[in-house]
Amino acid sequence: MFEEKLKELEPVFHPRSIAVVGASATSTKAGTVWVWALKSAGFPGLIYPVGSSGGRIGDLEILPNLRLAPGEVDYVIVAIPRQSVLELLDDCVAKNVKAVQFFTAGFSEMDAQQGRKLEEQMLERARRGRIRIIGPNCIGVYCPEHGIPFLVGMPGESGSVGFVSQSGGIATKLATIGIARHINYSKGVSFGNGIDLNASDLLQYLAADPKTKVIAAYLEGTRDGTRLFNTMKEVARVKPLVVWKGGRTEAGAQAALSHTGSLVSSSAIWSAMLKQAGAIEVSSLEELTDALLVFQQFGHLQGPRAAIIGGLADGGGGNSVAAGDACMENGLKVPTLSSETREKLSELLGEVGGIFGNPVDVSQAQFRGLAALFQAIDLVAADAVIDIVLIQQDIDILLPIYSREGLEEINEFLIELGRRQNKPIVVVLPSGSAEPERLQIEQKLLAASVPVFCSMERAAKAIYRLGQYSRYHGVK
Amino acid sequence: MTKSQNLLTEVESKELLKKAGIPVVETKLARSKKEAVSISKEMGFPVVLKISSPDVVHKSDSGGVKLGLANAAQVGKAYGEIVASVKRAYPEAQIQGVSVQAMAPSGVEVIVGMSKDAQFGPVLMFGLGGILVEVLKDVSFRIVPVTERDAREMVKEIKGYPVLQGYRGQKPASIPALEELIVKVSQFVEKNPQIKELDLNPIFAYPDKAVAVDARIILE
Repeated sequence: MFEEKLKELEPVFHPRSIAVVGASATSTKAGTVWVWALKSAGFPGLIYPVGSSGGRIGDLEILPNLRLAPGEVDYVIVAIPRQSVLELLDDCVAKNVKAVQFFTAGFSEMDAQQGRKLEEQMLERARRGRIRIIGPNCIGVYCPEHGIPFLVGMPGESGSVGFVSQSGGIATKLATIGIARHINYSKGVSFGNGIDLNASDLLQYLAADPKTKVIAAYLEGTRDGTRLFNTMKEVARVKPLVVWKGGRTEAGAQAALSHTGSLVSSSAIWSAMLKQAGAIEVSSLEELTDALLVFQQFGHLQGPRAAIIGGLADGGGGNSVAAGDACMENGLKVPTLSSETREKLSELLGEVGGIFGNPVDVSQAQFRGLAALFQAIDLVAADAVIDIVLIQQDIDILLPIYSREGLEEINEFLIELGRRQNKPIVVVLPSGSAEPERLQIEQKLLAASVPVFCSMERAAKAIYRLGQYSRYHGVK
Repeated sequence: MTKSQNLLTEVESKELLKKAGIPVVETKLARSKKEAVSISKEMGFPVVLKISSPDVVHKSDSGGVKLGLANAAQVGKAYGEIVASVKRAYPEAQIQGVSVQAMAPSGVEVIVGMSKDAQFGPVLMFGLGGILVEVLKDVSFRIVPVTERDAREMVKEIKGYPVLQGYRGQKPASIPALEELIVKVSQFVEKNPQIKELDLNPIFAYPDKAVAVDARIILE
């Protein structure tokens, strides 16, 4: 589906050369920063800085005009004032450029009449020269496999999550949170006002892109709702599509109008549209990244039946109760474990002080050694009534009992369990006073593809959404 | 009163809906007292009389509706009262007569409506009728075209869903009939882009069927 988009947008995601217009040898203007960002991300093609100042950026000579670039230019990043964009588009046409991204802002999002008029003129020129436009008012493309970073931040590892964002700020946050939480992106695009390439085009590209397995979108509005709706229906049929609609409230909607110059419609209609399209709706950056983490790691969910291991040592009782509430309130099921599993657990850990129904309290294992703890977790995970296992670790409690080495061993076991078990394993690491140790364990687990959340609520919500998707599309 | 030349009367609206296969309570226009009585006899008592005017949007507010009329004498009296009352409230209104329909036995009241969204075009709404739709805004939406699956989810999505299943001994509403009705309204709206807004309010849902008791169509 949408295979033609791959070829059409090849110069956008894999350009052989990029010119950055608005670069200077002396200032730290956006254009200059972009040249450095491309260099440091290891962009494999040619980079042509263009600016009136002359001089060099590193080993690259700054050209006074785009037309003077010695070779072909596939892609142009534009960071010059809006007064000069039409002239620049003429240069792009003369140079046979394939795609242009405008970082430049101050169009329809600022001045509905004048801005819109200028956008129309840009589009008309681009169409005549067969040039695709991204933006204006955006930070363009993020493609780690091709060494293209966003304006700020590291390129990160290449992965399987693709995203489109109307906002550059949200796009940047998505990319940077992704790097921190091991959500690895195939491609990301911030498309701003989307006068040419818009959410629909880019979603179609991501649906066709073989590297992309999960798609995220941050949208504030649309100028072509019917096309967006139909596109989302088709895209969600082939890949999970998680959508965060910004501007749901009156205040948010006001900001949306002045922000990206979009029409707004009531949140109820957007929610209905997303549901109807088979997309998963989220309502914050946290919810979006939480969902992406489980979609990236698991792809689908067999069913909503969760086993909860509330604590691995003392303090498991109350935490188990709270964890059970968090899961049930967020749509998961917490069935009682089979009698066989319960009997084996009580044989293993003794009858006193443990709760073996579900949530499970395995804190008694601390008196019987790590082997017993691992065996207990294994028993729970293997129970046929369970589709997914959530394990909470309170580092403050575990550290004095098991020491750093013990903790290390426990988490290595969980990683190994995740690989061995055919069921998803999710770890909840609430913040406490042992923050450095907690962060270290979190990074270790994430790097080994075990999703980590800082609360049971967030974990449950993300898992519920994975289940929702699997149920809707019949993915098992 | 809203001066609206684009407002179809109940009789006209129901005529269009009926042609599209959407179940409506049969309603006829009576241009005189005599006609009202003879139509009532034909339909069987009790009947309902409503003012028929393209200028009157809220019929009951101006005394334009009389329910449960049990015989010819009551119908005749009601005809005169309705016309007089509406003339008093809206002297300018063009009055065609009154609409006559058999009084439908009460069922679970629901509403199906359509309005146009600036970004997504025609949108259908479903909800329980009466106070629940107005106060609690317990409604669901879907973009046209609405598939069978969408209709099923629309009905199930409202918080008042248990009411449809027959709450506390009340007779249940036929969910399949409601779903079918929603899909048909979607098809009707899709085929008629000149319709700007539509209200089937109320629809009475029974254990075996669902019928629109009142209907209003507003054209672009």
